[in-house]
Amino acid sequence: MSSTHPTRRRLLAGGVVAVAAAVVAGVLVFARDGGAPPAPAAAPAAAPAAEPVVAGTSNCGKGWAPHAGDQTVQVVNRGTAATDVEVVAIPSGAVHGELEGLGAGLTRPLRVVLGGGDYAIRCGVEDVSPITGPVVHVAGPPGPAGVVPVTANDLAGPLEQYTGYVTTGLTTLVRRTTELRDAVRAGDLGKARSAWLPAHLAYVRLGAAYGAFGDADGAIDGDPGGLPRGVADPGFTGFRRLEHGLWHGQSAKQLTPVADKLAADVAALRKSFPRSQIDPRDLGLRAHEIFEDVDRETLTGGADQGSHSELAEVAASLDATKELVGVLRLVLTTRYPRLSEVDSGMARLASLLAGLRPYRPLGSLPRADRARLNGSVGDLVEKLAPIAVICAPRRTS
Amino acid sequence: MSHSRRTFLLGGLAGAGAGLLTGSAGAEPARPASLAFHGTHQAGVLAPPARQVAFVSFDVIAPDRAGLVALLRTITDRARFLSAGGSPAPEGIAGPPADSGVLGPRIPGGATVTVAVGASLFDHRYGLADRKPAHLKPMRVFANDSLDPAWCHGDLLLQISAVDNDSVLHALRDIMRATRGGMQVRWRIDGFISPPRPSGTPRNLMGFKDGTANPDVTNGSEMDRLVWAGAGEPGWAADGTYLVVRLIRMLVEFWDRVSLSEQENMFGRRKDTGAPLSGSVESDLPDYHADPVGSVIPLTSHIRRANPRTAETDASRILRRGYNYDRGVDGAGNLDMGLVFTCFQQDIGRQFEATQERLADEPLTDYIAPFGGGYFFVLPGVPGADVYFGQPLVG
Repeated sequence: MSSTHPTRRRLLAGGVVAVAAAVVAGVLVFARDGGAPPAPAAAPAAAPAAEPVVAGTSNCGKGWAPHAGDQTVQVVNRGTAATDVEVVAIPSGAVHGELEGLGAGLTRPLRVVLGGGDYAIRCGVEDVSPITGPVVHVAGPPGPAGVVPVTANDLAGPLEQYTGYVTTGLTTLVRRTTELRDAVRAGDLGKARSAWLPAHLAYVRLGAAYGAFGDADGAIDGDPGGLPRGVADPGFTGFRRLEHGLWHGQSAKQLTPVADKLAADVAALRKSFPRSQIDPRDLGLRAHEIFEDVDRETLTGGADQGSHSELAEVAASLDATKELVGVLRLVLTTRYPRLSEVDSGMARLASLLAGLRPYRPLGSLPRADRARLNGSVGDLVEKLAPIAVICAPRRTS
Repeated sequence: MSHSRRTFLLGGLAGAGAGLLTGSAGAEPARPASLAFHGTHQAGVLAPPARQVAFVSFDVIAPDRAGLVALLRTITDRARFLSAGGSPAPEGIAGPPADSGVLGPRIPGGATVTVAVGASLFDHRYGLADRKPAHLKPMRVFANDSLDPAWCHGDLLLQISAVDNDSVLHALRDIMRATRGGMQVRWRIDGFISPPRPSGTPRNLMGFKDGTANPDVTNGSEMDRLVWAGAGEPGWAADGTYLVVRLIRMLVEFWDRVSLSEQENMFGRRKDTGAPLSGSVESDLPDYHADPVGSVIPLTSHIRRANPRTAETDASRILRRGYNYDRGVDGAGNLDMGLVFTCFQQDIGRQFEATQERLADEPLTDYIAPFGGGYFFVLPGVPGADVYFGQPLVG
């Protein structure tokens, strides 16, 4: 099995993250203290020796006395299970600060910047409805807006919409991959080289669904990295393997099994996709990760196996990202003040790409164009990154 | 012409060029941990050089003049913060952390970002053609240069300096993250200044004390004559200065195979003490009057060519700042290290180029390979909190 897209994060279930963090923290603390109960962490800045704020299922928020401005409080989990801790505005529910997975018995600092208003501490323990502590009034001028958490429910609509996009895209992918395979089988490698790019781009446009594709992603679009024999490794399969052969003088006879397997893998994927699920968290994560891959693999020339279709890949990645931002737009409009900069960043990249048509190999671009391309992608991916944090689903009830 | 043939015994056959590899003695005062950001001039010009530095040249890709203004504002904001330090605002659930965290939760400050612009910024793109500083032009090719275009020139140059290397890298990441859509790195080199070994001026990677036949930075009238932009400049350029950067590889393996006396004759100084060959301690001034034919300090020696100490050459003196660099190994297995030569001056032609021309034929050229750099104009300082770098130029 060749390796999958390198920057795609593997997602852990939320509860596992919390428990793992607690366990790791506990091990470190106990190793140091020889089994004694963990000592509270040192306060980083001001407010030394104040009683820590309580988190957990009982007394959530006890002892919390916030003021306007920048502050760091110590939070202790007095319960027996790990808890998430949030500072929320009342009644909007906007989150101003959070600690994820505060382990039982542990104390950690929580820093928030608050303006005037009503706030509470909310404690989220696995398998228990979140508990909101006493409401506390803060006097002072308005402060940062906070972000109203995105729930799994908020993401249901976007997920359905995106699943529809992928389903349609898979049909296109199957059709184009079949044309590619037929050309290879017929021994018409010129035609196969022409058919390779549209088929590959159909796959690139499905960028946010790779996690749901599972192992099929590595088989269909893996790179030779991590394979002992590199491009000659039998585990190197899919579009990149076929590209390597088509642009390195391999014969139709050599490539027919490669094309057959690719077409079969793609057809199997279309068949299995309705039974698989896109993790709702993928929507936010992939919003920037599609372009993280572009930055790392495409703009460096690292992914290319001979077709030099880098610019077309960037354009297809922009299509894929646009689709994601589109399905998330309703969720983001009220939560992401710089969403308009995402739009202008995508428009800038689109217009730059339009000006570079007809596409040529990345390596032959004039230096100034390459700098503009790198900068437009770099700027865009910075503006996309907050979407992953904002769209991470949270439980609010 | 062969680059590696020694010309020491052959006389004047070698080409022109070479960096200014050493000066005379006189260690500068220590640099304060942090420099005031606001001022008439940029702080990073006259201050004693920091131990760690990065020179990063950028291509500006801002689409228009407004984009250039936004870029300069952002650079100013970041430079001001990196100088003063502080705690970045927490992001809550609104995004990834605003700071890399490389320096811990609280940024101590003390990184000095010096901003300069190259001649190419004054082309057609931003409507600045009629505002170009009088002496700004692309770096010329000197006779024995081996310039790599990828390591030359640039629209905008940042000199980022700090006590520690992590502070330099933190500042670079911070600025690049905030400016990706406005500029892209063209080339970058990191430099450092060695500690005194065992005392006095720090040594370069040829083992010679390398430092300070420098003008007196505390002498305001001398700075006005030699460093700060002078008559004939556009109004906005007052309080700026010109910066020359030359990236000079030292062929250290070859150098280490040369006899000590030959090395010393090439520099004109003792390798152990740094004293001029006519003196006994580092702080002695070289005596050229008593040695008219160069029997003690050869006429071709680096210090004698670079600064003949005559009335006619006085106005060509430069404020030089040299940093060592180390960037790995070349394809032949030889170490790639050398000198980031930089100097500040009022007029590149009258000062750096005149000095460089006097160095033509110096024997040292065979042991070095200048491969990059550029000419830049250091913008005037930022006098207050509501002003940004280059405001009088682009505003």
